[in-house]
Amino acid sequence: MSKNTRRIVFVLFILVLTLSVAAVQAQDRVQVTILGTIKPEIADPFNEAVATYNAAQDQYEVVVIPRDGDPVQMMTSLSASGNMPTITNMGQEFSLFRDTLCDVTDTTFSQHAFPGTQADVTIDGRVYGMPITIEAFGLLYNQAVLDEAVGGTFDPATITTRSELAELLAAVDALESTEAAIHVSGLDWSLGAHFTNVMFTDQSADAAERVAFIDALKAGEAALVENEVYAGWLDTLDLLLQYNQNAGSPLAPTYDDGVLALGLGEVGFWFMGNWALPNLFEMNPDVAYGILPVPISDDPATYGNTAISIGVPSNLVIDCAQSTPEEQAGAIDFLNWFVTDPVGQDYWVNRFNFLPVYDTFEIQPQDAASQQILQYAADGLSLQWMNNLYPAGGWQAMGASMQKYVTGQIDRAGLAGELEAYWQTVE
Amino acid sequence: MYIEKTFAQKFRSFLTFAAIPLFAFSVVLVIPFLVGVFLSFTDWNGIQAIDSFDYNVIGLSNFTAALSDPTYINTLVLTFAYVTLVVVITNVIAFLVAVLVTSNLPARNFFRAAFFIPNLIGGVILGFIWQFIFSTFITRLGDLTGIPLFQYSWLVETDKAFIALVIVGVWQLSGYMMLIYIAGLVGIPQEVIEASTIDGATTSQQLLHIKIPLMIQAFTISIFLTLRNSFMVFDVNLSLTRGGPFRSTEMATLHIYNEAFISQHFGTAQAQAIILFVIVAVVATTQVIISKRLEGRAL
Repeated sequence: MSKNTRRIVFVLFILVLTLSVAAVQAQDRVQVTILGTIKPEIADPFNEAVATYNAAQDQYEVVVIPRDGDPVQMMTSLSASGNMPTITNMGQEFSLFRDTLCDVTDTTFSQHAFPGTQADVTIDGRVYGMPITIEAFGLLYNQAVLDEAVGGTFDPATITTRSELAELLAAVDALESTEAAIHVSGLDWSLGAHFTNVMFTDQSADAAERVAFIDALKAGEAALVENEVYAGWLDTLDLLLQYNQNAGSPLAPTYDDGVLALGLGEVGFWFMGNWALPNLFEMNPDVAYGILPVPISDDPATYGNTAISIGVPSNLVIDCAQSTPEEQAGAIDFLNWFVTDPVGQDYWVNRFNFLPVYDTFEIQPQDAASQQILQYAADGLSLQWMNNLYPAGGWQAMGASMQKYVTGQIDRAGLAGELEAYWQTVE
Repeated sequence: MYIEKTFAQKFRSFLTFAAIPLFAFSVVLVIPFLVGVFLSFTDWNGIQAIDSFDYNVIGLSNFTAALSDPTYINTLVLTFAYVTLVVVITNVIAFLVAVLVTSNLPARNFFRAAFFIPNLIGGVILGFIWQFIFSTFITRLGDLTGIPLFQYSWLVETDKAFIALVIVGVWQLSGYMMLIYIAGLVGIPQEVIEASTIDGATTSQQLLHIKIPLMIQAFTISIFLTLRNSFMVFDVNLSLTRGGPFRSTEMATLHIYNEAFISQHFGTAQAQAIILFVIVAVVATTQVIISKRLEGRAL
């Protein structure tokens, strides 16, 4: 081939490539982008749901942008570079992005949401997000192990005080089939976001007083060592640590170790939440689980002793600053599909293991623990997720202090000092 | 081929050879760096478009906030400790190994390859491999042997987690440094060695008085690279310990990352990054100047 022929071939080759890329983009379907698969744990079923939705209609095409690394890092860089995805799943980041988000008050999914579930994403009476599920944390238990420990069918209503819990822990510990009574995860998010929540949310039955307690901490006016709830909360933590499977090295176990320990019945309890259920069922679908409150005193009437922490972990939000109106409409259509279409509902409940907070759902979760959580919610026995009010970096800071306490580096006074010092740095 | 006389010709050859690399260098390094320096003087919130100028210039308050953050100072101290240990241990091991594999060792090429391989594994993967070793393998070993040192995961105790980081850092870097030392060792003219042998020099005398002075440049390069790499350690830190237990093994870069993306203090984090840059620049330049003087004396 002469030089010129080669040039022509090269130019033609580039032309063909460009045209084919243009042809792919020139489809008449509107592309709706979503960052990640809501949660990494449900990546496979979520991708399946997206494919099903794309095949079910010919107006929109939902595309998942792979999420690698830290979500905030990705959101900030995508936003600052003008590439914000149409749909994003946001937790605490909501406050950072709220001026860029679409008002979804009049959408179908928002109209059918249970009252109260949209509180975190409501500003001046307008709704800016779609709650994905409610999650609950507390003492997850393995029904079979506890049945064996009590010699019959274990009834969660029998545990309302710390001493009743202590007796049960001792009974589980005494079983030959178990290694220990409880698995305590030393993970900073479990201790820093969830276990600390028990202390903050049990402060008062009145929401305003709970917030006032945090404000007092910020102002340096609350002394934790003199706080009754703080003392009771740590008494319970000490009790759990006494029966901890990994007492020798409390920070060593990973999340997966907890799944294995509870799923295999090595322990009877695990301080965790219902997001672990899919992992547990993946290991053995035939084991039944339940969830118990974390009692902080010996009086059943103490606020929090009979209730579990329930909240909305994150919300799906739609970007209004960088997306076109067509993309926004597509995003709403996609989210409505989960709430209104039986196929979408099936994915939402049975494949993503979300607890539906919409009155349109015909499909309800079938496992005992999920039903138990919905029952706690229906009975009003739910404690507020004060951890949603922690500032950015809050649970990491408190998690580090909790890890020090759990490993015996600091005592009660030391922990109180560190927690107080942290809150005083918050504006 | 290229005889450049006129400006046009010079410009043409500049375009041919330097324009693309210069463009890439500016776009991915120079411009972001300058924007970063600029942002450290503003109250940018991390999501505003840079060219929107919706943020304000606030002078040096990010820098005062950065320096009054006690954890940042702690991470700097920890980073210095880490750098000192890694630079010294890496260079000692790399040099010894280089001497070993340039001697008449059987299968020396195999050893060269084996020592170099860790350098080819990305830091994140490497972190996960070693995480398995320190948390799972070591505890299993402890169960089998009953040695208390191996009873629990190394990554959950402050001192052991730090040692683990040093071990992995050294393991990753020494293979590469070994290559540089090998190049230095084999670059020494054979005549000089032979002459010293005839003069009756022992092997250790040859090493100390002939080989090392003649390959001092290899030390300059290796120490510079280990300094820079260990100051900037991030991926291994992130994937091996995530700064834990209780943020006690958080190095400067990981702290800056957390300050920006977890605490969402972008201005402070940016200022801390600039401070770290200045520190590394000063340390590395000093090291190069001193080494160059030594080179001058040796030659």
